[in-house]
Amino acid sequence: MIAFDDVNLSFGRRALFSNVTLTLRGGRVIGITGANGAGKSTFLKLAGKILRPDGGEVRLPEGKTIAALSPEMKIYDTLTARENLSFFARLRGKTLTAEEIIGLGERVGLDLETFGDVRAENFSTGMRQRLKFAILLSVDADIWLLDEPTANLDDDGRKKIFHEVRGAKANKIILLATNDKAEVALCDEIIKLPL
Amino acid sequence: MRLSSFLFEQVAAILRKDFLIGLRRRATFAAMMMFALTAVASLSLSTGGAFVEPKFLAALLWVVIFFAASAGIAGTFDDEAQAGTLPTLKLYADAQAILFGKMLYVFLSLTMLTIFILPIFLILFDVAVENFPLLSLTILLGLIGIAAAGTLTAAITTSATVKGGLFPILLFPITLPIFLPAIALTEQSFTGGAGDASSLIVVAAFDAILILASSILYDYL
Repeated sequence: MIAFDDVNLSFGRRALFSNVTLTLRGGRVIGITGANGAGKSTFLKLAGKILRPDGGEVRLPEGKTIAALSPEMKIYDTLTARENLSFFARLRGKTLTAEEIIGLGERVGLDLETFGDVRAENFSTGMRQRLKFAILLSVDADIWLLDEPTANLDDDGRKKIFHEVRGAKANKIILLATNDKAEVALCDEIIKLPL
Repeated sequence: MRLSSFLFEQVAAILRKDFLIGLRRRATFAAMMMFALTAVASLSLSTGGAFVEPKFLAALLWVVIFFAASAGIAGTFDDEAQAGTLPTLKLYADAQAILFGKMLYVFLSLTMLTIFILPIFLILFDVAVENFPLLSLTILLGLIGIAAAGTLTAAITTSATVKGGLFPILLFPITLPIFLPAIALTEQSFTGGAGDASSLIVVAAFDAILILASSILYDYL
């Protein structure tokens, strides 16, 4: 459970969140929707404690780990797909075998037998997005922060990611910031911004 | 400082990743090496083989190391920020692991730089080192201090708009208490002095203070 207690956040004179108090429970996909600039990505950052509020407090469950998929969070272009996956998994104390890496690629529709040793700088935008989702899967975090997770993906990629999100939601807290109709349809609960 | 085997694993992963990227891009290493080489060669040519006081030579060596280090360390965090990988790294790794992974990377890069430039410096200025263990120890302690101060300064200046100019301006006063005894010790190693124990202790103590202060302050950046 993620709890917002009287959270305030402003950018300059503009108050984005004023005295927000709410609880985000696990076992479901919670969609964060709203117009451009309403604060969807900022809401995710606050929920993950990536951004500190000006006032109030965000409380996360003790010892729970976070993983995120966001356009702002890039992977290492000069590392290969395999090196990127191994590096981020290693940061969370996991050592991936060659089979596990290929298996993660299959789950997101990325052929890592062929492209595993190719540097990420040579990947298309969609392939990078799949690799970022494979990294998210590899660390097996308790809280997923997904910011437009299927942007730049083809139908096959979207299906694979929707399948993973549906399969994972029972044991996780999943927040999904989006205005995409198909992604909204995936959500069990919607929080519309501004609050 | 929180030290655990998990933290060490993260530090090792970040260090390995930075070396891999550094070796593939080569730009940072090349900038440091070329700066040091150009500075030493020009200084040597300008003296034209004339006798140079050991104290002046010691100061020259540290000036070259400082500015070559500045050329390389400044991008320690900024390269990641520009590439957009810093937020990802901060999410997945412990803040202390990022700091110490980067600090170790900077220290090892500076060690490589010194191994490259020191023999060239000694040959071009015709310096006979009388006390090599003292010189090695002085350089080791000096580089630890520059790495600790440089890593923290690089983290602080990442969000600044004029980071290129700001980095050496901030780094110099922080590292000055290391340079003064380091220059004196380096001079003693050139002239055959036994090495002033109190100067060695000052440098080592200041290194420890810089490492501890970096560890405390980095959590607030």
